[in-house]
Amino acid sequence: MLESLQQLATGFGVALSPQNLFYCLAGATVGTLVGVLPGLGPIAGIALLIPVTFGLNPTSAIIMLAGIYYGAMYGGSTTSILLNVPGETASVITCIDGYKMAQKGKAGKALAICAIGSFIAGTLGIFGLVFLAPPLADAALAFGPAEYFSLMVFGFIVLSNVTGGSFLKSLMMAVVGLIIGTIGLDPVTGEGRFAFDSPSLLGGIEFVAVAIGLFGIGEVLVNAGQPAELLEQKVVMPRLLELYPSLQDLKESIFAILRGAGLGFGVGLVPGPAPVIATYASYMMEKKVSRHPEEFGQGAIKGVAGPEAANNAACQSAFIPLFAIGIPFAPPTAILLGALLIHGVTPGPLMIREHPELFWGVIASMYIGNFILLLLNLPFVPLFANILRIPKKILLPFVTLLCLTGMYSVNNSMFDVWTMILFGAVGFLLRKWAYEGAPLLLALVLGPKLEVAFRQSLMISHGSFDIFINRPISLAFLGAIFLCLLIPLVRVVYGRLRSWAATG
Amino acid sequence: MRIRLFLSLLAALLLGIGGAIPLQAADFPTKEVQIIVPWAAGGATDLIFRAVAASTEKYLGKAVVVINRPGGGGAVGYTEGSQAAPDGYTLVSAITPLTILPHQVKTAFTYKNFDPVVNISSDPSMFLIRHDAPWKDLKEFLDYAKKNPNMITVGNSGAGGGVHLVAVAFEKAAGVKFNHIPFPGGGPSVTALLGAHINAVSVSPPEGIPQVQAGKLKIIALFADKRLEMFPNAPTVKEQGINFAMGMWRGLAAPKGTPPDVLKKLHDAFKKGMEDPAFKKSAADMAVNVHYLGPNDFGRLMASDDSFYAQLVKEVKK
Repeated sequence: MLESLQQLATGFGVALSPQNLFYCLAGATVGTLVGVLPGLGPIAGIALLIPVTFGLNPTSAIIMLAGIYYGAMYGGSTTSILLNVPGETASVITCIDGYKMAQKGKAGKALAICAIGSFIAGTLGIFGLVFLAPPLADAALAFGPAEYFSLMVFGFIVLSNVTGGSFLKSLMMAVVGLIIGTIGLDPVTGEGRFAFDSPSLLGGIEFVAVAIGLFGIGEVLVNAGQPAELLEQKVVMPRLLELYPSLQDLKESIFAILRGAGLGFGVGLVPGPAPVIATYASYMMEKKVSRHPEEFGQGAIKGVAGPEAANNAACQSAFIPLFAIGIPFAPPTAILLGALLIHGVTPGPLMIREHPELFWGVIASMYIGNFILLLLNLPFVPLFANILRIPKKILLPFVTLLCLTGMYSVNNSMFDVWTMILFGAVGFLLRKWAYEGAPLLLALVLGPKLEVAFRQSLMISHGSFDIFINRPISLAFLGAIFLCLLIPLVRVVYGRLRSWAATG
Repeated sequence: MRIRLFLSLLAALLLGIGGAIPLQAADFPTKEVQIIVPWAAGGATDLIFRAVAASTEKYLGKAVVVINRPGGGGAVGYTEGSQAAPDGYTLVSAITPLTILPHQVKTAFTYKNFDPVVNISSDPSMFLIRHDAPWKDLKEFLDYAKKNPNMITVGNSGAGGGVHLVAVAFEKAAGVKFNHIPFPGGGPSVTALLGAHINAVSVSPPEGIPQVQAGKLKIIALFADKRLEMFPNAPTVKEQGINFAMGMWRGLAAPKGTPPDVLKKLHDAFKKGMEDPAFKKSAADMAVNVHYLGPNDFGRLMASDDSFYAQLVKEVKK
């Protein structure tokens, strides 16, 4: 522990050099930008800037590229709140209450609480990274196919009804998401499924296209369908003082932020789309512990603070497997791995020993970067909040344009753009008929992973289902699933019995 | 980033115009050359081609731009590449899956839709096991596999992908049967081995290299003609009496029908780019084995691997 602190001090020496400070600032700024722009996420941002780092020393390069990753987590919430367009995948949940807050004239508060929550969670996440990396990396390895399967079924059961509308409708949307997730190359046999010999469909349906379509384009269409006078009146503009959260708001949010940070940090260790899952889980948790669950979906500040904290913490803990065992669990860290390789640094069990200046320099730069991001984001709150003053007839076409260009630049694919437009139409209809898009997106993320884990487990066990029960971690999750399904049932029965007893 | 997008749009526009004008090969190239990489930015393949593109620009006299068209296990990028104008301004990164994918799914292309330009790297495949695995050497590993068919679980980076088929080919050569477990990528398969969820993993460098260096994993079977410089103590399977070598190659190809003198210019420039110290250093840093092959040899390599994988895929599908 003491040694870690000493090393960290050296790291600060590295990170505080003017050159590295500059790259940290540059990375954080670019990250915020790619986060704000719909479609473009940290993956695209890092990939596009890798060639720029060719001439830099490895430490500066990684400081900048890491800055893009966590910077994007700050920026991602901005368009979710203002325009109902998720800026990147981990900000889908923020659309729900963030956008509602903006409609009620609390856009500034929502934006500011995101920055504050992100800062607190990011900083806590770095502490976890410094002190717990090696043991946590080993713990993450305990998750094999069977454990993932049970964990994901658990996640699916708990999170599918995240918005708390009709359970039946949520379940239907989740099933649709599962079906869409099967399009593309079969992960186990390598054959095409539902691809109709189209090379684009073989690649599967892009999650970002579905997310932006359902939320962003769908929202534009819903707005466009309204009479002009209703449309322009809708937004309540706040006074300057109300742009930032009050003490009361902060008090209300702080525990949500801390819970979100803890949850996100834990989920971040799980391979796959950890930040997305972390945000869903945090939202669900806040709703469960809240004394006013009915406020969720109507603009609850906790429903913004918790998930935004969670995605930042998840993003910090995603560095643990990369640095401690040399294996990326999430796509953005996979790209960082590539960047490290091209700079002659092999991430892995030996990295911390062989390149201490790089490891500790990058960690220290994350502290600084998080602080820079807070300073960078808070002053912009009034500016961003004022975007809502733009008349809708100008704003909506602009949002559409932003979605179209952003979507194209993710994979340089027109197919993705068409997919997004299609799901925009679907999103419009779903809104009309009061179906939620969130369960569909969750199923689209979890479904393919669930399927692979299930089939892998059964291949390892030669077809025996015992594998899910014989592994303690897997059994624990199955038990949790059982309880989750049982408790509501017991409640209903107990309630009936009581009322029956009361009436005699 | 915006500028890059603008540039690639501009390039696409120029390409459209350029296609209409008859080309004078003598003054090739008059504009930038793009390489379509059918895999995502930031992967090992992408990085190698970005490195060679950067070091080739000065020999070609024009910019060399890498464009990622991921999706469908390479199908999206190769389809686009095979349909591009054969004028030398659009190339594709031809890597082993180009000779595998057309046998697995219906594709609009095979390797025959491309003219070989140059092979850049070849990396041997290998099996890794945990450092605390019960098998000391290849003989013990295979003896156990013979006595317990289908019991040793071998991870791979994707069903029907290169390292999966290599593992299938190796079991034929060695006369054993493994239980093949597919993972979405090389990273997850190595992770599963580190967590002891599977017994071995079939990989191609740079995957797994850092874990072997750290002593967490060890090479149990190396499918190469000679030992790796980095691990001189790991013998090849050939040394141990099994005549088997298999690996992954990465090269450049142009759409079929590209003029021969244009192909020659491209080949000469990229050959110099490969010999450039900057590229050599990047390749060494990534543990990638630079391996030059001229167009004829590279074409023969693609043809022989294509018929090899055609046979293998047929057997796997059975």
